[in-house]
Amino acid sequence: MGKIGNKNDRGVQINMENIVFYFELHQPFRLRPLRMQDNATAMDIFWEEKNREIFKRISENAYIPATQTLMESGIKSTFSMSGTFIEQAMKYSPKTLDIIEDYVKSGMCELMGETYFHSLASIWDEEEFEYQVREQTKTMKNIFNYSPVSFRNTELIYNNRIAEMAKNMGFRNIIAEGTDEISKNFSPNYRYVAPSGINLYLRNYSMSDNISFRFSNTVWNEYPLTADKYVKWIQNSPGDIMNLYMDYETFGEHQRKETGIFDFIRYLSKYIEDYGIKTIKIDEIAKEHNAKGMVSIEKTISWADTRRDLSAWLGNAMQNEAFNRLKLCSASDNKEIWRYMQTSDLIYYMSMGNPEDFTVHEYFNPYRSPYLAFIYYMFALDNTCSSHNERIE
Amino acid sequence: MKVAVIGWELPPAFSGGLGIHTSNIFSIIGKIIPTDIYLPDMGYSFSGYPFNIRTVQVTRGIAGGSYSHVTNFTEAVDDYNNKVVENFKPDGVSVIHCHDWITFSAGIEIKEKFGIPLVVTFHSTEYDRSAYFNPQGDIMKREKEGAEKADAIITVSNFTKRILVEKYNIDPDKITAVYNGVKSSAYTQGQNYKRERQILYFGRITSQKGPKFFMEMADKILQYEKNVKFVMAGTGDMLDEMKGYALDHGFSEKILFPGFVDFHKAIEYYKRSEVFVIPAISEPFGITVLESMVSGTPVIMSKTTGVGEALNNALKSEYWDTDVMSSYAVSIINHKSLMDTLSLYGKYEGMSFTWEKSAIKTIEVYRSIWKI
Repeated sequence: MGKIGNKNDRGVQINMENIVFYFELHQPFRLRPLRMQDNATAMDIFWEEKNREIFKRISENAYIPATQTLMESGIKSTFSMSGTFIEQAMKYSPKTLDIIEDYVKSGMCELMGETYFHSLASIWDEEEFEYQVREQTKTMKNIFNYSPVSFRNTELIYNNRIAEMAKNMGFRNIIAEGTDEISKNFSPNYRYVAPSGINLYLRNYSMSDNISFRFSNTVWNEYPLTADKYVKWIQNSPGDIMNLYMDYETFGEHQRKETGIFDFIRYLSKYIEDYGIKTIKIDEIAKEHNAKGMVSIEKTISWADTRRDLSAWLGNAMQNEAFNRLKLCSASDNKEIWRYMQTSDLIYYMSMGNPEDFTVHEYFNPYRSPYLAFIYYMFALDNTCSSHNERIE
Repeated sequence: MKVAVIGWELPPAFSGGLGIHTSNIFSIIGKIIPTDIYLPDMGYSFSGYPFNIRTVQVTRGIAGGSYSHVTNFTEAVDDYNNKVVENFKPDGVSVIHCHDWITFSAGIEIKEKFGIPLVVTFHSTEYDRSAYFNPQGDIMKREKEGAEKADAIITVSNFTKRILVEKYNIDPDKITAVYNGVKSSAYTQGQNYKRERQILYFGRITSQKGPKFFMEMADKILQYEKNVKFVMAGTGDMLDEMKGYALDHGFSEKILFPGFVDFHKAIEYYKRSEVFVIPAISEPFGITVLESMVSGTPVIMSKTTGVGEALNNALKSEYWDTDVMSSYAVSIINHKSLMDTLSLYGKYEGMSFTWEKSAIKTIEVYRSIWKI
């Protein structure tokens, strides 16, 4: 495979040829801490002040400087932006949208399709799923004049059926987590196809996490992670492509500017050039590399938590009660609000988490308590949804 | 090497949480380090404890030699402290350990006389007991002095630690929070009861514990949920006022006031209820919170209840915020998943508070100051 043994003009051995960066850009509309006594109107259920505060902070820390840095460094990448992200960017930080637009116009940034509401629709309602994907596609067209051909589902929730739905909607590529189980037989460093024929790319999670989780971890035995070292690891990895998929907040928010994360990106672009490696967008992979085989994934996987399944959203009784109640609302009066209530984060906040994932859950939970997340969610439904979930004994 | 404890009460002769604590913690410490416990002689005999009990005769401020016959509390306390100093056996004692202001003066005098390091434990402060309403100057003076003279201080929570730092200006570095434990087997074994849509208050009915906020919460709940009842278990100076509140607000049929309840009855109340509420204004620890959790009963607690700082699986609110408390309570009784999750995780978390841990942490405090 590949061009093992080839050398570039500086005499460096070429192994890995391409890096594929994919970034998730998403913000939910968080729910206000409601009390039973509040007679909230539909719009009151959203925590406007908190959502604004978080979005503005992350824009300043991450979205704006990270996009600037990628552009200046000539690094290509692929963005997946939820509809709720776009809405908040328009409301709270138009500058973020402007700079992303510049990046897209430069040709270096591909935009992906996903569900507008970053929802779990793919696992329970095909029609609703298609509606939400179309809404997001329309938004990409309206704002960026871009028609996505690659698809990523909410938090990389994936199985053969979801890939097939995406294929049927006209997408050419889809991405998924390279879980331990899958990676045993299929290295994430190649192009694959799903049984439905759509191109399938798997995240190299350990190389991705080296940046997103470990970059500033001083007790990590590889600390400090320099761009030089990292590119050497990539260069020495067997395969055609290095799929580095991460949350875009990694750059400047999770890993603060002070950690040197932006310098890391700048130097990365310099070193990959030295080593003859190029960054490419997801839709460019198929032109460069042959498929290594078919990968069939029946069981639903995701990139969340240690378990890499649906348990981050549907792992406990509260989440299931809330999700079931949400489904019952579907025939109710305000369909728009119901769709915002589908945003997966709102149910993720109710996760009790495994002990090993506790810190991650606490970090993202605006209420710092899965119980409060449940209580506020149910009060929000009480105020916006006519169905009632009577307590079952 | 020996620990000399200056106590006030010990089962079977006791009137409150101090006795429970003394019994539980020194039943473990006594097996590790030789321990003498000084107590007022109230005519009880003690047996089966792994430590020496040295009783001293209190003759002033007391009629008939029992806790219920104390006629002048301050006088009895002073007499007790003087007698402890007179009868103190210093041989081999490496640390003196006093419990609450009622034993501080003896501890200070012994420390000064024999040069033995002093540890004092605060189970509560005058600020807690008075709920910040007219705290008694004399007691505060004794508390401050005990804290200043002690070589190390134990508080039952960081909440109480902060009170000592802020109100008495004590160096935080010499204060260690040591949480109480709970004997969970008494709650997890034994009979099970079917839970009812019942919300429980259990504790002294006195302003420190915030019973009025429980009543306000009940009133608010009943505006949304008719099918729910309440129990206010315990006695205290505000019991009649609370009964009056229920009458005035038209829900006396919805609430039961059983008065004093014994240990076994208390377990039954915990296990029959779906929610336990403790709206205390200032509670240094709150051992009932752990009792409820190990009984599998979800807890709603005030943020001014000390143990809450160490708990993830209890719901917390400001003690006065009865809108929030009623919202939490209605959510629990109406959503089985919330009830079950709080119950399961609460039980597991509550059971992690053991007296063994408290005893070991207490010994670590001794180790930090004794000279052996």
